[in-house]
Order: sequence, then C-alpha cells, then structure tokens
Amino acid sequence: MSYAWDFGALAPYAGLIAQGLLVTLAFTVATVLAGLAIGLVAGIVRTNAPRWINVPVVAYIELFRCTPLLVQLVWMYYALPVLVGLAMSPNMACFLALALYAGSFYAEIFRGGIEAVDRGQWEAGMAVGMRRGKIFRRIVLPQAVRVMIPSFINQTVLQLKNTSLVSTIAVGDLLYQGSVITAALYRPLEVYSVVAILYFVVLYPLTVAAQHVERRLGVHR
Amino acid sequence: MNERVSMLQATDIHKSFGAHHVLKGVSLSVGKGEVVTLIGASGSGKSTFLRCLNLLETPQSGRLQVGAHAFDFAAKRPPGDAALAQLRRDIGMVFQHFNLFPHMTVLQNVLEAPLQVKGMARAEAGDLARDLLAKVGLADKVDAYPSRLSGGQKQRVAIARALAMKPDVMLFDEVTSALDPELVGEVLSVIKTLAADGMTMVLVTHEMGFAAEVSDRVGFMLEGAMAEIGPPAEIIRKPRNERLKAFLERFHRHTV
Repeated sequence: MSYAWDFGALAPYAGLIAQGLLVTLAFTVATVLAGLAIGLVAGIVRTNAPRWINVPVVAYIELFRCTPLLVQLVWMYYALPVLVGLAMSPNMACFLALALYAGSFYAEIFRGGIEAVDRGQWEAGMAVGMRRGKIFRRIVLPQAVRVMIPSFINQTVLQLKNTSLVSTIAVGDLLYQGSVITAALYRPLEVYSVVAILYFVVLYPLTVAAQHVERRLGVHR
Repeated sequence: MNERVSMLQATDIHKSFGAHHVLKGVSLSVGKGEVVTLIGASGSGKSTFLRCLNLLETPQSGRLQVGAHAFDFAAKRPPGDAALAQLRRDIGMVFQHFNLFPHMTVLQNVLEAPLQVKGMARAEAGDLARDLLAKVGLADKVDAYPSRLSGGQKQRVAIARALAMKPDVMLFDEVTSALDPELVGEVLSVIKTLAADGMTMVLVTHEMGFAAEVSDRVGFMLEGAMAEIGPPAEIIRKPRNERLKAFLERFHRHTV
C-alpha cells in the first residue's frame, strides 16, 4: 500500500497547468459578468413586467435551472449549430451555456433581493418626486444587493467549479489540461491532487473576502 | 377660511380595493397655510384619502387639484409616472414607519431629493439640508445612519427630508403611531413649529389633544365619507354627531 508520490514529475507541465488555470478564470469572469447582466434584466422582468414579456423570461429561467449544465453544454455545441445552421466554436458554445445558466440563477437571486426591499422604500422615493427608474437604481437596488450578497457568492463559487465541465468538449481549462498531463505521465493521483488544490486556492480566499464584504455592508442595515 | 387662497382641492374622490369601497366620494378643500386634521376609526378611510392626495393611491373617480397640478380620474388612462413625479415634488409626505433610506446617512437622506429630483447644486443642497436638520434639532446627527437613531429622531429626519423639496403642502400619515410615548412630544413640537411658520398641512392622527391645538379644521371620517368637518372647538370639544361622540369617548377611555 505504499504509493510513491512524485509531484516533481509535474514540473515540466507547470506552464500547461497555468494556462489551464487562466482559461478557467477567464471563463468564470466572463460568464459571471454576462450572467449578472442577464440575471439583472431577467430579475427585473420577474418583479415587474407585463405578462407577454414575463412568460418567456420565466420559461428561460426554468429551462436553464431545471436541466443539467452538462446537457446544456453538449446541446449548445452539437444541437444548436444544426438548428440554426451556423458552426459554433467550443469556446462560444461554452460561453453561451455557462452565461445563460448563471443568468437563470442570478435572475432568481436578483428577484428575491428586489422583493425583499420594503414597499415603503418605493413610497418614500415616490413621495419626494423621484421617478421609478431612479428609485430603483438609487434606493431599491443598493439595498437589494446587500441582501443578495451571500446567495451571489454561493452561486459564483459554483460557477467557477462548473466551468470544469467545459473540458468535456475539449476546451483547455484546468481540468482538461489535467487530463492531458495524466495521459502523458500516468500519474493521475498527483495531477488531480494539484488540480483540486488549485481550485481550492482560488475559491477559498474568495469566500473569505466575501464574508468580509458582507459584514461591512451589513453594518447599516 | 374662505378668505384663504385654495392650495389643495380634492373633489368627490372614490377609491376601491377590489370589491371593497373604501372612499365613497370624499371632498376636501385646503387653503394656503391651513392645517387640517383627519380623525376617525381605523378603516374609516382617512389614511387612504391622505394617500390619494399625493396619488400614492390612484382614485377610481373624482378630481384633484394641487397648485397648478390638476387630475381628473374619470379619464380612462391613469396618470403617468412623469405627471405623478411632478405633482409629488410639490407635496411632502411623512409616513408612520419613517421609511428612511437605510443605506444612506441622515444628511444623504435629506440631500437625495434636492440633488436627484431638482438637480440642485451640491453646495446649495448641503446648506439647505444642514439648515433643515438644525431646525428639527438633529444638527449633530448628520453623519449617523438611520439604524443608530431613536424613533423620534428618525421621524424628525423624515420631516427634514420632505421639507428639503420645499413643498407647498405637507401630508402626515399617523406619524407618531409607531413611536414610544415619550418620543411623541419631540415630533409633535416640530410639526407645531411648521404650523406656526404657515406651512399648509393635512394630518391623520390619533393625538386628539394635539389635533385640537394645532388644527384650523378637523374632519371626522366615517365609513369612507367625510361625516363632519369644522373648527376643532366644534368637532373635538363640542361634538354633536352621535358617532363622533362615541368615537371620541372610546378614545378618551383607551388613551389617557
């Protein structure tokens, strides 16, 4: 039962691992930003919009929340190009699936946060002559965001981990490079240990920073 | 009060929530500088009527005129966001539960509307806000957040916030009902000062002594209608209407 660990064997592949980590981070940042934009719009629609626009938005949210991300990725890559008749690069398919997936969850987080703000805040804004858009931006949204932060961090941590699914359609993220190195080295224990540690090293400080921000913003509740 | 210039005129206001007919044709005319207090049992429609005066509630029918703003609710289309905002710039309102903006300091709460709605210069708005906060006795709290204030202090900030728009009319919706008894006085004395300064005001309150002292006229609302209206000497001190008498007696028994 004595396995001879040899992390030194990975040294020549450090560049590849770094490259994979960068791809993972880039996908995370890009799809979180896109997902937030989608989620904000969809969340606003959910709280306050006529039926004809609310119904398709709810359909989008539920479709992406209730199907596995892996299925969405594969579908975007193989099925969507056939449907719309234009080729889709693996990167593009991954970006679309991850952004829409994140957007559907962020939308519900935004909706919850917006609805948690007391009606009296809207009325106070109206009573001093503010227009609805301005009340939303200056009074309601800043308070909603404070309420949202824990769920938002949670979803973003999941999002970074979910990017590992892109390796299934050969996008060179951290996990994909791990499998490439494993194939070359036959040292899966070392490789996947390093991969796991790298995910942890990125995410743990993020959650600590998030708790710090949450405490500071919570002060004036 | 006939010699006063009219500031606010609500005519035959009807309001329903679903099948519930809350206001059954209420009219009220308020002269410039006049203080009118509305009293009545809960459910009589007095708060709903007050909220119709700055259109936080849109009546189903009737007319409303405040200064140059005129609305006729018989028209099919409800007033738009822009017209509502224009009206409300000129009407201040203070709420039972304060509704201060919790993510802003006291000063920012008062600055918000002059800066964002009127586009006032920051220095000018700052002077105005500090003056108003001094007037309500909170000059030392400008940088505090609302969560650090007592109920009475919160309500005085809310009054300063409403005054910052230099409104023509102020509406007070049971502004002392959520306060501990020992904090009621500090808020009422601010309102008295405003009355002495000639501010036009409509109040809904359960403070009968205060209503008698500060009001030019008192209106008694009953089941969605203005049952009686007149000088406090007639309405509160020498009521003739039986329902009004019963209301006031019940009141005196419950609050000493």
